[in-house]
Amino acid sequence: MDYISPQTYNSTLSFSLSLALNPIRKDKSSKFLNLLSMDLTGLKWLQQHQQMVSPEFLQILGSDGREELRRVESYLGNNLDELQNFRPGYDTIDGCISRTSSFQMEPVKSNEENRVVALQNKRKPEGKRETREKKKKIKAEDETESSMKGNSDMSNTETSSDVLKQDYIHVRARRGEATDRHSLAERARREKISKKMKCLQDIVPGCNKVTGKAGMLDEIINYVQSLQQQVEFLSMKLSFLNPQLEFHIHELSSMMADQRSFPLHQQGSLDYSVINSNQTTSLNALKMETSLSWDVHSQCLYNNLRTDSVFSFFSLK
Amino acid sequence: MASAYNPIYTDVPEKDVFALHFLQTLSNLRTQNSFSSPDNKTSDRVKKIKKAAYVSMARAAGGANRLWSRSLLHQAAKRNNKNVRFLRRKRRVTWLMRRRSNRGDPIEDVAAERLRNLVPGGGGMETSKLMEETAHYIKCLSMQVKVMQCLVDGLSPK
Repeated sequence: MDYISPQTYNSTLSFSLSLALNPIRKDKSSKFLNLLSMDLTGLKWLQQHQQMVSPEFLQILGSDGREELRRVESYLGNNLDELQNFRPGYDTIDGCISRTSSFQMEPVKSNEENRVVALQNKRKPEGKRETREKKKKIKAEDETESSMKGNSDMSNTETSSDVLKQDYIHVRARRGEATDRHSLAERARREKISKKMKCLQDIVPGCNKVTGKAGMLDEIINYVQSLQQQVEFLSMKLSFLNPQLEFHIHELSSMMADQRSFPLHQQGSLDYSVINSNQTTSLNALKMETSLSWDVHSQCLYNNLRTDSVFSFFSLK
Repeated sequence: MASAYNPIYTDVPEKDVFALHFLQTLSNLRTQNSFSSPDNKTSDRVKKIKKAAYVSMARAAGGANRLWSRSLLHQAAKRNNKNVRFLRRKRRVTWLMRRRSNRGDPIEDVAAERLRNLVPGGGGMETSKLMEETAHYIKCLSMQVKVMQCLVDGLSPK
């Protein structure tokens, strides 16, 4: 543990303390607590042995540090997705440690420069993809962006009593890419879109073989077009079957209304003869339809037919 | 697949809801047509049925809640020269909507344009919203196709 600087221990101490002080998100932060607890003993030891730590700690809890703490808290408080992406391996903790340390290494500097410094000073974790958490602070003038933001539920801890409620978009930026606001927003948007495309992939059959956005989108477009063509084809068929547009709706819809009380889990075999007889009876019935009221009409038809036929008619399940 | 975590909220009602709506719309068609000329041309009939199918699908799938269904019903009402008003949810002008005109990934833009032409009401939507609408639309379309298939199978002679 010698290669971790005292500042790192400082940061982890403050990190874990912020976790402890934040009562609301305890369930999510407990994971971190468990993982960091093994470091905490080492931290305490180091803190005791280094007197320089405490003033630095207080300094860290100054204005900038409070901001950093807030960010850390809001990060913890916000996205469950982000938390689930966090694999609690030890090297992640190292990455996490180095990340937080990079934020707090020069608390005097401004935030933008902080990130640039972090870019340069970041210690390379072994074999892991270098991702860094970038938090985009949205200023008060862009009020309209509030719909894009995740909700931040931050409770006031004792250390940061003058906390402003701010919303953040959490974006994971890769190393070496631009960190200005626009490209981050673009990245967030693209990630949103790709997430939704994955959902679409589940719905559209046969999308798994094609990879890449363009191919998948083409598949989706073809599927929608084929569905619309199917609707047109079936409507043409329907119009040929019933040239007078008489669909014997009454009995069918009354059947449907009656069958609601029955369990719709049966699946009978398709019985054409019954349905054809249904058609003829209804034709006869329609000829003298004005005499019969609607309810009686449906009653006698209901008595003639079995319940299974209508189930099987629509293959309702 | 039923238990898959889906961030898009796409729940579609059961088949019988679609079937009921479709039959009701068809019966409306019938009552309309019984007083008009009986020797309709085939294409007119087909168009009417198709229109009925789409309108019933839009109504069955949760009429005013979805953008595509709303625009479908608007179009249908316009054809009948009726003025339909929907309670419009307050449109939040998001920052992304403002920027939609400026930026765009060229790969996805071309395909997104085609998708916009296919899905009703797709012209005014952002790409991510378009994806949601497409998902719901696809589900409803497939349900409608199943209902119509069953109807055709049931009514066709042995």
